[in-house]
Amino acid sequence: MAAGRIGMGKRNVVPPLLTLSGIEKRYGGVRALRGADFTLAAGEIHFLLGENGAGKSTLMGVISGAVQPDRGGMTLAGNPVKFATPRDAHAAGIVMIPQELDLVPGLDIAANLFLGHEKLTRFGTMARGAMVHGAKDLLHRAGVRLDPRLLVSSLRMGERQLVAIAKALAAEARILILDEPTAALSAAEAEHLFETVRQLKTRGVGIIYISHRLEEVPLIGDRVTVMRDGVVVGEAPPDAPQADLVRMLVGKSFQDLFPPRAARIGRPLIALDHARFVPAVERAGWQAPRDVSLTVHEGEVVGLAGLMGAGRTELLSSLYGFEVRGQWQGGVSVDGKPAVLGSIGAARRAGIGYVTDDRRSTGLVLGQSVARNIVMSTLAKVTPWGFVSAAREQAEVSDALNRFDVRPRLPSARVVNLSGGNQQKVVFAKELLGRPRLLLLDEPTRGVDVGAKSEIYRQLRDLAAAGLGVLVASSELPELIGLCDRIVVMHGGVTVASFAAGVTEETLRHHSLGEALVA
Amino acid sequence: MTETIAAAAPVPRPRKNPLAYLVRFQSLLGLILVLVGGIIFSPRRHGHILFLNTENVANIVRSISETGILALGMTFVIIAGGIDLSVGAVLGLSSVLTASLLVNQGWGLGSTLPLVIVVCTVFGLAQGFLSTRLRIQAFIVTLAGLQAARGLALIASNNTFININYGQGPGNAPPAFAILGERLLGDTFPVATLVFIVLAALATFLLDQTRYGRYVFAVGGNERAARLSGIPVRWVKISVYGLSGLCAGIAGIVHAGQFSFGSPNDGTGYELSAIAAVVIGGTDLFGGAGSMIGTIAGAVMLGALANILQLNDVSAAMQLLATGAIIVLAAGLQSLVGARDGSTR
Repeated sequence: MAAGRIGMGKRNVVPPLLTLSGIEKRYGGVRALRGADFTLAAGEIHFLLGENGAGKSTLMGVISGAVQPDRGGMTLAGNPVKFATPRDAHAAGIVMIPQELDLVPGLDIAANLFLGHEKLTRFGTMARGAMVHGAKDLLHRAGVRLDPRLLVSSLRMGERQLVAIAKALAAEARILILDEPTAALSAAEAEHLFETVRQLKTRGVGIIYISHRLEEVPLIGDRVTVMRDGVVVGEAPPDAPQADLVRMLVGKSFQDLFPPRAARIGRPLIALDHARFVPAVERAGWQAPRDVSLTVHEGEVVGLAGLMGAGRTELLSSLYGFEVRGQWQGGVSVDGKPAVLGSIGAARRAGIGYVTDDRRSTGLVLGQSVARNIVMSTLAKVTPWGFVSAAREQAEVSDALNRFDVRPRLPSARVVNLSGGNQQKVVFAKELLGRPRLLLLDEPTRGVDVGAKSEIYRQLRDLAAAGLGVLVASSELPELIGLCDRIVVMHGGVTVASFAAGVTEETLRHHSLGEALVA
Repeated sequence: MTETIAAAAPVPRPRKNPLAYLVRFQSLLGLILVLVGGIIFSPRRHGHILFLNTENVANIVRSISETGILALGMTFVIIAGGIDLSVGAVLGLSSVLTASLLVNQGWGLGSTLPLVIVVCTVFGLAQGFLSTRLRIQAFIVTLAGLQAARGLALIASNNTFININYGQGPGNAPPAFAILGERLLGDTFPVATLVFIVLAALATFLLDQTRYGRYVFAVGGNERAARLSGIPVRWVKISVYGLSGLCAGIAGIVHAGQFSFGSPNDGTGYELSAIAAVVIGGTDLFGGAGSMIGTIAGAVMLGALANILQLNDVSAAMQLLATGAIIVLAAGLQSLVGARDGSTR
């Protein structure tokens, strides 16, 4: 097996960089870790997989000093260690890069890299020149080509991630923990990140890589550890089939994640025929839909495939008129009649709902209750004559909580305290309470674990069976293939191809690159 | 399958945090503490507690009526994620306009009061319009509005103090207007306080029981999510400043009625008292969370505190320090709970 490469023999000679054995941690009645073991070798990229709540975060907390284990031991390069605070772990060369990067957007890259240990001149003022120079060096070591004088706020997510890694290098990290580093990155940005991570590996840095994206495992992984319910359930080589990993993750097979398709497809809901969207203001990096032809019928799930920047998100947001102004030209019809779209009001009157790819910033009011969030887009329903009807509100909310199986079933719980999957269910409930006939979905399962994913697929299929039309954009091809009745491929704002169910990933990828156009 | 999800999502329930309860009733708790403290530390004469003296209680509730009314409008603005620094100046403008129209122009109450209220409301709406349309921060727009309202007040009053005399004929205001300075129920209950109570009830209803109130919370909580949900975000953001202007207009009329004059420089610093009442009442300065009952309690608490300090002949300097300490305490308690809850909000 190719995975045998990372030779067991090597680890027998030198002690592993890091070992954890029998780690236990209990939070009140919840046993977050029930005797977890983990090892990391120098120069190894070790994938850690697990559903939300499997104990990954707690285990990483133990390594990075944020969590004190109840039981179990840890050794670093063979010596027993115990970290009382994240500061101790940091001093020992363990750096965790959280999903919410701790960079100051208003400062430039150099200032961020030296934040807290600024270089000073002998007059006590900032030595800008030395810092910019040092920053260049750090960026170079991280394999990043960026001008250190750029403001962090002007960088894209992928670039910020790389800056965060460079910052870890500044701290002389021996162990780097990456928590879903590609969750907010485009494919190209992710590729760049992998490049950097591979470089760090050759320098002997041990890397713990947490991800929900199984397709990343064979790309850069050396070893995979899967956790479930607070224990390590297995270890696998990086070329293990995805299906095997899924089985370890959730205890059921990949195909079972997708519900069977419904056969009944009704009248056309929305039809675009060589339609183009002309934005009022041109924006750099915003790929306007240039020539789009597709139809979504009642009860049909249509997928949008394509590379990042192909214009999938832009198509959805300009159909809904969200944070973009402009007008549609060409054939746009709803229910077989020509329609004017491009504003939220028009879209909602046409029965269109929209769930963006970013539930935290555009989907939910995190600090407010589940109930408040659920009725947010259908306030007219629970406020007859403009006055709140507590009875109607309660009825709608408890009905929605049941239908979408939101846990906990507690209307007063604050949304910020829910898990990612349950937050996503709240977003769905909110949008579907308005009984849209067409639902636009952008990356509906981003940052959601496999179990909740399958739950969302089942919901979508049920809704489609009841007549809902769905247009879903996703960068995960297996998801589109498993879920959709039809898949439309976009490239450069143009719909270049359309396939019925049963198309292969290979074909989709080929058309996504726009190669079929040339050929 | 669903069982796995349940097991995988142990959600910390917010109700387990005892501090959260404290914050919800923070203003009421503070109010009770201040009242108890008032009774304990009150000077006594012939065995009577001066703090609870009818005359003194009437003084407290009268003193808070104006900043209290300002705080009602301010609560809408702050929950929607904004701030309105102009209310004190608009109060001054309103008092001057009222006095000038009644005395100098000889208008009746039926035309003066609605016009003054409309002017102040429009002033507020204009600020809201500027800040949403031109995307200037509300802090700056209303800071400019503060200056502009003072300027308008100086123009309207010709830079003087306008005395309101009651009686018939030119140069006199209708005697009915004097009722704002009087008391009901055997000379115990100030009319100005009655105005505050009625408005407070209306504001509470509007915030808690109407669709509009929900819009305000949603816009302040997450503007983009609100827009995506089809809520008329821009309209909501403009309208809260209109409400704030409306309240400031009414407060200015009450001011003119209570003191029987209009002065262009009155109301200076009132905006800060109003904001203090809102913050002490537990409303989040970042928007999206808060309550009207908290604001009301916050206003009463500030008034009662100032009164106790005055009764004990505490110097004005110490009074300011005490007020500052209370504000810090209230805000500190809030952020403490925020941290425990795992959110910065």
